[in-house]
This record gives sequence, structure tokens and C-alpha cells, in this order.
Amino acid sequence: MDNQPLPYSTGQPPAPGGAPVAGMPGAAGLPPVPHHHLLQQQQAQLQAFWAYQRQEAERASASDFKNHQLPLARIKKIMKADEDVRMISAEAPVLFAKACELFILELTIRSWLHAEENKRRTLQRNDVAAAIARTDVFDFLVDIVPREEAKEEPGSALGFAAPGTGVVGAGAPGGAPAAGMPYYYPPMGQPAPMMPAWHVPAWDPAWQQGAADVDQSGSFSEEGQGFGAGHGGAASFPPAPPTSE
Amino acid sequence: MPDSDNDESGGPSNADFSSPREQDRFLPIANVSRIMKKALPANAKISKDGKETVQECVSEFISFITGEASDKCQREKRKTINGDDLLWAMTTLGFEDYVEPLKLYLHKFRELEGDKAAAGSQPPPPPSSTHNGAGVPVGYGMYGAGGGSGMIMMMGQPMYPPAASSGYSQQPPHHQMSMGGKGGAYGHCDGSSSSPSGLRRHDGL
Repeated sequence: MDNQPLPYSTGQPPAPGGAPVAGMPGAAGLPPVPHHHLLQQQQAQLQAFWAYQRQEAERASASDFKNHQLPLARIKKIMKADEDVRMISAEAPVLFAKACELFILELTIRSWLHAEENKRRTLQRNDVAAAIARTDVFDFLVDIVPREEAKEEPGSALGFAAPGTGVVGAGAPGGAPAAGMPYYYPPMGQPAPMMPAWHVPAWDPAWQQGAADVDQSGSFSEEGQGFGAGHGGAASFPPAPPTSE
Repeated sequence: MPDSDNDESGGPSNADFSSPREQDRFLPIANVSRIMKKALPANAKISKDGKETVQECVSEFISFITGEASDKCQREKRKTINGDDLLWAMTTLGFEDYVEPLKLYLHKFRELEGDKAAAGSQPPPPPSSTHNGAGVPVGYGMYGAGGGSGMIMMMGQPMYPPAASSGYSQQPPHHQMSMGGKGGAYGHCDGSSSSPSGLRRHDGL
């Protein structure tokens, strides 16, 4: 269990038993303490994320269902692509719109952790591939991203590549840039710093900042996007639609 | 009013789905990208292939969950996939973390639908909410039927704190929200999801 205080306040303690973390291939070859701390940090972030999502779901309002982050018609079409799927209730695409938002957020968070381990500020395809490879619940996605994508950067901090192969080049330069990286992991040949930088995480995602938006609009939706909700609502209310497919 | 979009015969007989357009297989990349940015710090960037990869993953997620829910409906000789079926499928497929917030979300949605149905300002029910199935009166009745399929059981899984769990049960039944004006503007949920490139507002079931 993570005994560190969370770097951000969610107004609610994280739930025990956070998101499952897949077994790390080659993890046995890594020093246990830094690896354990890094995993703890990841779990703490994901736990905070889920705690926040539960709070957010309770605050859902009419505007949330009117301004979906994702178009319901497209979701429905993807569902209907399965020949076995016959009828879909009205609530199913609405629920999927929220589920897909959670899925995108979780996948992106996990992908970003990989990008940061490799000291990049741009999330790439191979970061998504690494997140999929590390997370059991994402096994159904292994065919979406070729496995080779996940091995483009051997020697990543979590030992995603086989231990001993490849070198974390960025570790060689001076400690100044390394100290600034919250998820920096020193090369395996060197001892871990006594006070590692990951105790001061710099991760500050927008979904946490969303709390401010909630006070104004009560949802994640942005003012600019309506997916024709206003027109749809106005048009569908007084008269009945004259045509049907 | 027959709704061909939800035809019982499914894909093969529906020309619209026999050769789906490429863009219809994925959610819009702009929407996906916007949600991704919420999970990242402000100075983070996302490559185009990163966005496209997540875009593909989301479609696979929808198909994955839908397939499991559809199998369950067939086993139970039911024709309509509802919200509870999706929640059950997510639990079965390992997405337990999603079920708690989604249950709250679905509860809120049904609550608002109930408010809308009960609102006196809409005496005639919208025709688009009529269901194909015989004996099913209106969309609201469907939600009731969905609820009757039983709550999602998460036995053997780590349970959330009691406070979080009771948050759901604490929702007062038939909670009336002062949303008369909003109700009017809200209109019918089925019609509010029009997409420029996809179906028009004929999502009625």
C-alpha cells in the first residue's frame, strides 16, 4: 500500500486495491526498491484518477448527457458493426460515451508514464504499445499495435526490455537533468539515489484541473462542442421528425 | 414507426453496414485527442500516430465490450442490449474500475430520463422513442426492464470504501431536480447526438 501523501487533493482518499498492474517482463532483474517505488507511484496516480472519476460521475447533470465528449451515433454504428448485435437501448451509447472517455484517459495516463520513463514530452505509438503490453486488462488490444512497436526503446526504466540489453543513454549525462525527471530511473549499474526524484512528481493532468471546470459547467464538456445538441433538442421536441430511415 | 437503423436482421441485410466507410469505424480523432489531453500535463504533446493508435483502441474497446454483452443477451433470449448488459460485460472482461463510476453515471441518466418522462410540459411522448418490440410501450419502460435484470455483482473483487459504495444507494429515488427550463432545452436524448458525417437524428429505438 502506498503510504506517501498524494501529490494532489481529490477530496477523497484513494480506494484500496487500485487498478491492476501487469507483471513486468524482466522485472526480476531490476533492483527491488526503486522499482517498487515507481510502481507505487503509478498505482497512486491511477487510484487518484479512479477516485476522481467516481466523484465526477456523481456530479453528472443534464448538460453532461446533452454534450457528450463523443458522438453517440458513431458509437452506435461501431456497436452495430457486429452482425450479432441486434437492438440497442438508448442508454447503451450514452453509457459507452462515458466508458470510452474513461478508457481513453486510463490508456493515455499509462502511455504517458512510458513516455516520461524515456524522457520524452511527446506521447507516441510505442508508448501506447508499452501501456498495452504492461496491462493485463488491455490484452484484447495486442493485435491493434504490433508487438515490435513496444520494443523500440530497449532499456526503459521499468525493464520492459530484457535486463542487460541496451543502455539508458540519458542516464550517463550529469545529474542535473536527471534530477528534474520525476520518473527518472538510474542505470542498473549505479546505486539508486538516497532521495530519488520521483518523490516529487511533476505530473499534473488536466482531469484533476477539471474540478475548476466542474464549478462552472459541471462537466468535462467544452463550450465549443455541442454535436448539434442544441439544435437536436430544439428540433426534436415540438414536432415529430417527419422522416425515418 | 419502423426504425431500420435498429433492424433485427442486423448487418448483412443493411447496406449501410455491409461496407462501412473508413471514418465510421473510428470515433473522431479530434474528440479522442481532446480527451487524451485531459490526462496529460500541459506541456505534453501527442504525435499523430499516438492519436490514431488510441483511436483504433477505442473502437476495439467498444467492439470487445459489445460482443460480450451481445453474447449474454443471446443466452438469455433477449434482443436489446442495455446499460446493465454493458456493465456486466465490463466486469467480466476485467474493467471493474470502470463499473463504479459508470453505475453512478447510468443512474443519473435514468433519473433525468424519468424526470423528463414525468414532466407535464411534454404530454405527447416523442415518436422516436417508440420501441420496435411489441409490448414495450416507450423508452422509459425499457429502462425499467433493464433495471430488472439485476445489479452487477463484483464478488471476489476488491471493494471500494463503504463511503464510496453507499454514495450510489444514497441517491434518493425519484429525486426531483429543478430543471424545468433545462428539460425543455434538453429535448430528447436520442435526437441530441447528431453527427455531421454519420446518421441523422433517427436514433430512436
